[in-house]
Amino acid sequence: MTTSLSDLQKKFQNRLLHGDDAVDPLLGNGGPFMKVYDHAYRARLIEVMSQDFEGLHTLLGDAQFADVVTAYVNAHPPRQRSIRWLGKDLAAWLAKTPAWAEQPMIADMAAFEWMLGLSFDAPDETPLQASAMAKVPPEAWPMLTFTFHPSLNTALLSHDVAPFQRAAVSEDEEPDSAPAPFAEPITWAAWRDPNTMIVTHRALDIDEAAMLHAAAKGETFDAMCEVVADLSDTDDAAVRAASILRAWLDCGWVVGLDGEGISW
Amino acid sequence: MRDLAGFGLGLRPQHFPSILGDDPDVCEGVDWFEIISENFIGVGGPLLRNMRAVAEKFPIVMHGVSMSIGSVDPLDTAYLAGLKALADVVQPKLISDHLCWTGAHGHNMHDLLPLPLTEATVDHVAGRVRHVQDYLGRQILLENTSTYVTFADDEMTEWAFLSEICQRADCGILLDVNNIFVSAFNHGFSASDYLAGLPVNRVQQIHLAGHEHNGDHIIDTHDQPVPLDVLALYEAALDHVGPVPTMIERDGNIPPFADLVAELKGVRAAAERALS
Ligand SMILES: [Fe+2]
Repeated sequence: MTTSLSDLQKKFQNRLLHGDDAVDPLLGNGGPFMKVYDHAYRARLIEVMSQDFEGLHTLLGDAQFADVVTAYVNAHPPRQRSIRWLGKDLAAWLAKTPAWAEQPMIADMAAFEWMLGLSFDAPDETPLQASAMAKVPPEAWPMLTFTFHPSLNTALLSHDVAPFQRAAVSEDEEPDSAPAPFAEPITWAAWRDPNTMIVTHRALDIDEAAMLHAAAKGETFDAMCEVVADLSDTDDAAVRAASILRAWLDCGWVVGLDGEGISW
Repeated sequence: MRDLAGFGLGLRPQHFPSILGDDPDVCEGVDWFEIISENFIGVGGPLLRNMRAVAEKFPIVMHGVSMSIGSVDPLDTAYLAGLKALADVVQPKLISDHLCWTGAHGHNMHDLLPLPLTEATVDHVAGRVRHVQDYLGRQILLENTSTYVTFADDEMTEWAFLSEICQRADCGILLDVNNIFVSAFNHGFSASDYLAGLPVNRVQQIHLAGHEHNGDHIIDTHDQPVPLDVLALYEAALDHVGPVPTMIERDGNIPPFADLVAELKGVRAAAERALS
């Protein structure tokens, strides 16, 4: 009695995913080396996650990191075509899974490292030069909307994980103490410098973070100014918003803008 | 007539500084590079930029790990579109993937999993290879993988299986000599029988790699230099297939670039011995 390929693949896969032994009768000679597949599957997932979350691995140590990956993969059996995306849901999963949610520093580290990874290999696009803004007629400003470079990513963090992460990935530094909590959660941005291609990150001021959030949703410059006015103590929100925008342009964050009669 | 000739290396990100550095001699004896297709599909940044710089200087072949040609799931059209777009950019001499499946029923195990060696599987895979080739507008190569189990339903040898699929689909073979060595040991078949049973004119590229011996089985780890017994099997393979572009495929425990260049010289010497 032959087994359909579909059934065989389902049973083989369930062995790797759940340790299910329904595949055993389908194996030749009892499949004495089936353990090689069992091991390779888990080992590869842990290896790839360790590359993507080096700081988290250092923070947790080998045994706990392997436990995290195993539990995460059990909760999110891999479906992505490329293993590049395996860790996509890790930070969100850590933040809501009881054993780990009690230590939010762990989810913060995962979120931070995933953000850096996204910035590292996001598709290339040509940033808009700051000089382009000079060509925008004054009356077009209020309705301007912006599009951002794919390498620009943000994460809201409640711990200062960056120094620990930098030391963990560096060859000549060792992390000395666990990441300290911030007084209030802070939005961090990471992006890739368009020329050097080096990934950089920095903390955003509260009004800048809110303005970026609004802009990324496609809201107009006018709406961005309102957001800034609500959150900063400046008299002139438009001036403050324009200076924030200028900083974004200088970092290569903005790739396009749209408004009446103009589109870049 | 073949487009690609000589000896190559798998392109690994650790080696970009050496390859793209100022010393023009570092790549002496390296005729071409193989890239892992998935690393460059839908991404940008420094790795893509460096790869493109290498592609300007060297012929490139594309090697994939996630086509899942033997899966019962439909072919991933987004993946194939990405593969085609990448091929448009790098203009590879060859495009290959593995004779295996990597997941089914919506999952992806990210491993090269074994297929039952049956007529039904031959039909299934050959049809899918033809579909991929039609879509890409070119021939692809299938690589033999290392396997650690066989199936009770197997109806033929692995080399008959590989040959039959490639003949029916009219595709090429990427022959991994280390994988033959590993599977021959694990399943107790003769590597010479394997070589003798191949349609030699379909073998268009050869992989060499290292492995880990565990007493009763060998694991294809690709993290060691090519051992002497694999090199000997390579010489035997060339006896059958003639001069075929050959490369060292190192996936783990990556040594300095110069070490691989030196190792490749040994491969070239072995090929010259075999073909003289
Ligand atoms: Fe290979």
